[in-house]
Amino acid sequence: MNVTKLKENRAAYLFLTTGCVCLLIGMGMGLFVALKFLFPLLGEYPLFSFGRIRQAHTNLVMFAFLLQVDIGIMLYIIPRLLHTKLFSEKLGVATWAVYNVAVGAGVIRILMGINQGIEYAEIAPPFNYMIVLAWVMLLVNIMATILRRTVRSFYVSVWYVVGALLWTAVVYITGSILTQYTTGLNQANLSWFYVHNAVGLVFTPCGLAAAYYLIPKVLNTPIYSHKLSLIGFWVIAFTYCWTGAHHMIHGPNSYWLETVAILFSWSLIIPVMAVVTNFLGTYATAPRATRFKTAESKLLFTGTIYYLLTCLQGPFQAIRTVNTVVSKTDWVVAHAHMALLGAFGLIAMAGAYYIIPRIVKRPLYSPRLANIHFWMTFVGLLTFMFPMYVSGPMQGLAWLNIERTFLEILAEQRWVWMIRMHSGALILLAQTLFFYNLWETLYGKSYFMKPIEEKVA
Amino acid sequence: MQLLTERNIAILAVGAFGIFSVGVFCTTVLPRFVDRELMDPKPNMRPYTEQEARGRKVYLAEGCVYCHTQQIRHLKSDQKRYGWRLVDAPPSKGWEYAYDNPHFIGTKRTGPDLGRVGGKYSSEWHWSHFKNPRDLGEKFRNLPESKMQQASIMPSYAYLSDEQIKDLTAYIQTLGRNVNWRKDKDGQLLNDYEE
Ligand code: HEC
Repeated sequence: MNVTKLKENRAAYLFLTTGCVCLLIGMGMGLFVALKFLFPLLGEYPLFSFGRIRQAHTNLVMFAFLLQVDIGIMLYIIPRLLHTKLFSEKLGVATWAVYNVAVGAGVIRILMGINQGIEYAEIAPPFNYMIVLAWVMLLVNIMATILRRTVRSFYVSVWYVVGALLWTAVVYITGSILTQYTTGLNQANLSWFYVHNAVGLVFTPCGLAAAYYLIPKVLNTPIYSHKLSLIGFWVIAFTYCWTGAHHMIHGPNSYWLETVAILFSWSLIIPVMAVVTNFLGTYATAPRATRFKTAESKLLFTGTIYYLLTCLQGPFQAIRTVNTVVSKTDWVVAHAHMALLGAFGLIAMAGAYYIIPRIVKRPLYSPRLANIHFWMTFVGLLTFMFPMYVSGPMQGLAWLNIERTFLEILAEQRWVWMIRMHSGALILLAQTLFFYNLWETLYGKSYFMKPIEEKVA
Repeated sequence: MQLLTERNIAILAVGAFGIFSVGVFCTTVLPRFVDRELMDPKPNMRPYTEQEARGRKVYLAEGCVYCHTQQIRHLKSDQKRYGWRLVDAPPSKGWEYAYDNPHFIGTKRTGPDLGRVGGKYSSEWHWSHFKNPRDLGEKFRNLPESKMQQASIMPSYAYLSDEQIKDLTAYIQTLGRNVNWRKDKDGQLLNDYEE
């Protein structure tokens, strides 16, 4: 491998490839969790107890895969959008090292039973402080890159990256550190602020920054509307963070805060529709022949549709009567997977497909395999989520009928866990193809192929 | 059309951060002051004993919160389902969590809600349930023996030490007892903690 060539995008390369490896581990954990629902006796060791591997699964897929790949994409697109080089590759590689040690060690400690007990912020000190450190290093690196840009104005992706860098810092510090100095309901407010905004103000801006860069590139078509980009960004910045309390509707929280959260959940439809219209408009104006040709374009399109669906579900789930039925059921599990895997996970995969070959300047090993990967993931996701969208409300309605025992209702859910486990296995299998494809691109036969030309942004 | 925010990094950053912090303030800081009444402990509440606090640590380490919520919602179905011998469970109040760090309010009910489970079952029952949830013993005496008795998907916690199970049980028995709500058939309140 030619090291001098790699030098320039070293940090982005490390983040992207490590993220893709962690995807396999994280999803493997997920499959293990799914199996435990069917065979609770499987792997009866403290290390693999349900409560622990469930946390390992969420932390690995969120931080080791999704955020990691998103950072990689960010480090690649920002210099290109601003016609400059990354401020410091060394700092970037150091960030990668700190971040991965922190997440890796944090997850191992979770398996050992050391966690903070705040959902999605289980990684305990000192490793959560290390994640904050890594984030600050990234922030410095990107901001310094922005300051030495050679173009005057920022493209949409740059707004989202700047937003993501600042919001994530506050959101993560609130959820992971400030919660530790509060108790009870007050802490619950902070922790649901965090849970909601980990998706809304960490993964959403990172994913949208990537999509705003990738969709026009992949389709070779300019973004549909500048005004919609503006509306989408500024309304998200204002409205997203208000909605944390919709996670405990009918619960112990105060009524006014619940109502505020519900109203703001509805206001989220505005930015989401702006963004989605913008993306779909770009698809609609792209040349027909190339619109859905590559796996990247399919992944980005599916990601956009799932982004729309998940963000319409959100406000509906927040209606008090709907919430009475679906809250606390398997519906919620499907909703979470739709947002993080269906929308932002797929966009991140498109990013890996697009960027990794360009960094190593070799074509993707097999575009056909990438298509197979897409279709398997697509089918796997459908059969993963939609059974739960049926069984969740069934479970919720059954719980409303107090004549029926909890255990009876539990036993009836088995069929859906069976389907979920198989679909999960299919998704994981698809990711091994993804991994194989990237592996061959980096180390395989295509090494001898003609290098691809990189178009300047 | 190009806004200043698209050219000046300081204005972009301050703008994006500024309008975001309004919502942050109103949903995380403000409730602490407006809802003080709801959040602060009531005078008759007692903090956890050392043993109960150890039990909470086990609950935390094992991630019980990912299967069990601790909140009786303001819904008739919750109050009846998690009630006790025809007495409805009162909805959970914010102040009942005042000594909880971390809180275990939870979002997912793979298992039943534990918000008011304290005192419902004997500590012996919990002991054998933690050792082997696939044998529910007399809790479901009138369920069809074979299938339902085996239906639980709760992990077995036989790997915990006897001490840990005792601590955990002590904690479980406190749940929801800040409100004295269980009555016997003569209407007498029962809030006897077992020793
Ligand atoms: C995989 C999810 C899961 C995990 C993890 C789990 N439980 Fe359970 N739990 C259940 C299910 C399902 C039931 C209902 C069947 C039964 O009684 O075993 C249950 C029942 C219970 C009950 C009886 C409640 C009642 O009112 O009948 C208690 C108490 C309990 N669990 C405590 C715990 C504790 C403490 C932990 C952590 C050490 C824990 N559970 C971890 C799924 C889980």
